[in-house]
Amino acid sequence: MRMVCVVKFVPDVDSFSYDYAQDEVRRDQVRMVLNPDDVCAVSFALKMKEQDGDSHIEVVTMAPRSVKPHMEDLLRLDIDEGTIISDPAFAGSDTYATSTILGKYLESRKFDCLLTGTRSLDGATSHVPAQLAEVLGMDQMQDIIAIESLDSAEAVFTIEDEQYLRTYAMGMPGILALARASGYALPYIAYEDFDKDVSDKLTFVTNATLHCAPDEIGLSGSLTQVVHTYAKHHHTRAGKIVHTDDAGIDAVHSFLEERGYV
Amino acid sequence: MLTSDQINTNSGDLYDASADRYKKYAKARHVLDVPQPLAIVYPKDTEEIGMLLKFCNDNGINVIPRAGKTATEGGLENWKEQTLVIDCKHLDRILKIDPYNMQATVQAGVPLQVLEDELRKVGCTTGHSPQSKPVAKYGGLVATRSIGQLSTLYGAIEDMVVGLECVFPDGQVCRIKNVPRRSGGPDIRHIAIGNEGTLCYITEVTVKIFAHYPENNRFYGYLVKDVDTGIKALREVVTNGFRPSVARTYSEEDAAQHFYHFHKGKCVLLFMAEGPKGIVDATCQAIEDAAKKFEDGIIEQVDSKLIEDWFNNLNWSQQDIDDEFEGMKEHDSHSGFTTEISADWETIPKIYHNVMKRVREEYTRAHDLTMLGGHSSHSYINGTNMYFVYNYDIHCAPQDEMRVYHHPLQKIIVEETLKLGGSMCHHHGIGKYRNEWSKEEHGSAYYMLEKLKEAFDPNGIMNFGTIFYQEEGHKYQI
Repeated sequence: MRMVCVVKFVPDVDSFSYDYAQDEVRRDQVRMVLNPDDVCAVSFALKMKEQDGDSHIEVVTMAPRSVKPHMEDLLRLDIDEGTIISDPAFAGSDTYATSTILGKYLESRKFDCLLTGTRSLDGATSHVPAQLAEVLGMDQMQDIIAIESLDSAEAVFTIEDEQYLRTYAMGMPGILALARASGYALPYIAYEDFDKDVSDKLTFVTNATLHCAPDEIGLSGSLTQVVHTYAKHHHTRAGKIVHTDDAGIDAVHSFLEERGYV
Repeated sequence: MLTSDQINTNSGDLYDASADRYKKYAKARHVLDVPQPLAIVYPKDTEEIGMLLKFCNDNGINVIPRAGKTATEGGLENWKEQTLVIDCKHLDRILKIDPYNMQATVQAGVPLQVLEDELRKVGCTTGHSPQSKPVAKYGGLVATRSIGQLSTLYGAIEDMVVGLECVFPDGQVCRIKNVPRRSGGPDIRHIAIGNEGTLCYITEVTVKIFAHYPENNRFYGYLVKDVDTGIKALREVVTNGFRPSVARTYSEEDAAQHFYHFHKGKCVLLFMAEGPKGIVDATCQAIEDAAKKFEDGIIEQVDSKLIEDWFNNLNWSQQDIDDEFEGMKEHDSHSGFTTEISADWETIPKIYHNVMKRVREEYTRAHDLTMLGGHSSHSYINGTNMYFVYNYDIHCAPQDEMRVYHHPLQKIIVEETLKLGGSMCHHHGIGKYRNEWSKEEHGSAYYMLEKLKEAFDPNGIMNFGTIFYQEEGHKYQI
């Protein structure tokens, strides 16, 4: 069983630093983390491999080279290969161009199942799994909260929507996009593996290998265009300090009531 | 020797007694790798403590003296199979409050908050306010050389202790009398103060008390451009002879977690002045003068109400500690760790910048750090402290957390501090996880420390592994 996990490293929303003087996010200080939905995808793949030692897992990401330490940590788990697709020419790619680039790489790979997350913390559009399926000519399903069984011929999984839990069977190879609610968690890195050299398992792929045409990638290849970028203006509101007494509790309750929270 | 209700062999309590807050995460996740003590005992008086210590001394049983259980450096962690934890729970009486002579005498198991509450009734204060104030007890405060948030005015615990009673491993009880000052040879209070349970068991303490003027409290806060400016402003106030009770400078990162509602991504400088009105007025003038002198580095003044509110909500309660413990059980994370060092004014910014540089350049798990910063919070005429603070996402097994994250960071901080002549342990004590640097910390004076251990604890039964490096315990450190 060969599994490919397509993942994204996203800014950690809890560690955003804001430059109030310039009214913009301090991007140089933004910390990257593995997108939570993608954590579930990789975790499930590792779980499968634990049951079947002959399984093979490749993790693929399109990202700046700076994600290398994070990718190395994944490779210190039982991941067989890691691929970072990175090229300055890819900058500005929207989800369509991103899917084109990822698809170009994945067309060259043999796999039984592609696992990924449904949505990313920073975009949350959920476009990539569906667009990637289109590029690769595969079936795909999103918002999976449990995979009951998976082999090279078929996957059986559950999706939760607003009303029902539905169980589906889908032929493989195909794309399974997991939701964070699946709760699959990564194992810990073994202490003795923390400094393990995994460079032999890591490959960087550029457009020199993929040969995407200039009009397929970056801003030129993007079907959506950014009309205008602006920093959200932050306004400092006058603070009101209340104490943990009846008056303070009343003040907080009134505040929440006024805004319709209670 | 004791009645059955003074002996606790409950397995949950023994597990709890086998480590302190140093391994709080592993403890919460139930993966501690150290042996459990044989029992926790609760003597009722000094005589019983003497009998217990003598018994342990004669039979080679390790003793861990215990009070409020807020130790953070492994001082309460057990490294021996044969260990007795002697808890001062029953030594819980305030023996005397003497407002005329401005001193109070308490037994070792009296919580600091209890004495503080009693003193407030007579218009006084202990002047001692560590974050652990609601939980910490006097025996532990004195044994670990505790310091409080108001130390720049009132001093640390060693400045407050007038006299004490302690018991040595051979059962010898010693009482150091309460006098304002004397020149009776070396100050033997300091054999007990800060001994971290490695030389003797402290049973009773007499401390200075202070007149309390809460109505005069005043607060100042500033956003400043960098740590260096903040430290210069602290120095200006303190070296000019003024003693604000609180004088602190926070790095941008540390300020962001403490003052999320007003930090604006900048460093924070803050002061609190307290005492008689005339002294407060003079101290406030000195603070304003310092702010004026360093105005190029001061971005804006902060509403003093925000500083006052922060100060009034600073202490932990037992509920906070319990909530943190439950949180660690549920999540692969905790609120981070600290390492506190001290040095002279000139050296402290160098240590700060060297540490930041080395962590960013050398620490292989730097990408897991969610916060790295620090603050200066206790100042003296000749220098100040730096409280390095770091939080991280944990990607290892709970039992590996300290060696993957905290200890490598602490090693960098300690190395940079000792290299420039500072002290690696400003107020948490050495405990068991900085003992590998105890010799370097003390240099040639380590001879004196070793001789004290040899003289007072020749059989090595007192808190094995604390302060003094032990090869046998090294397996728990790596």
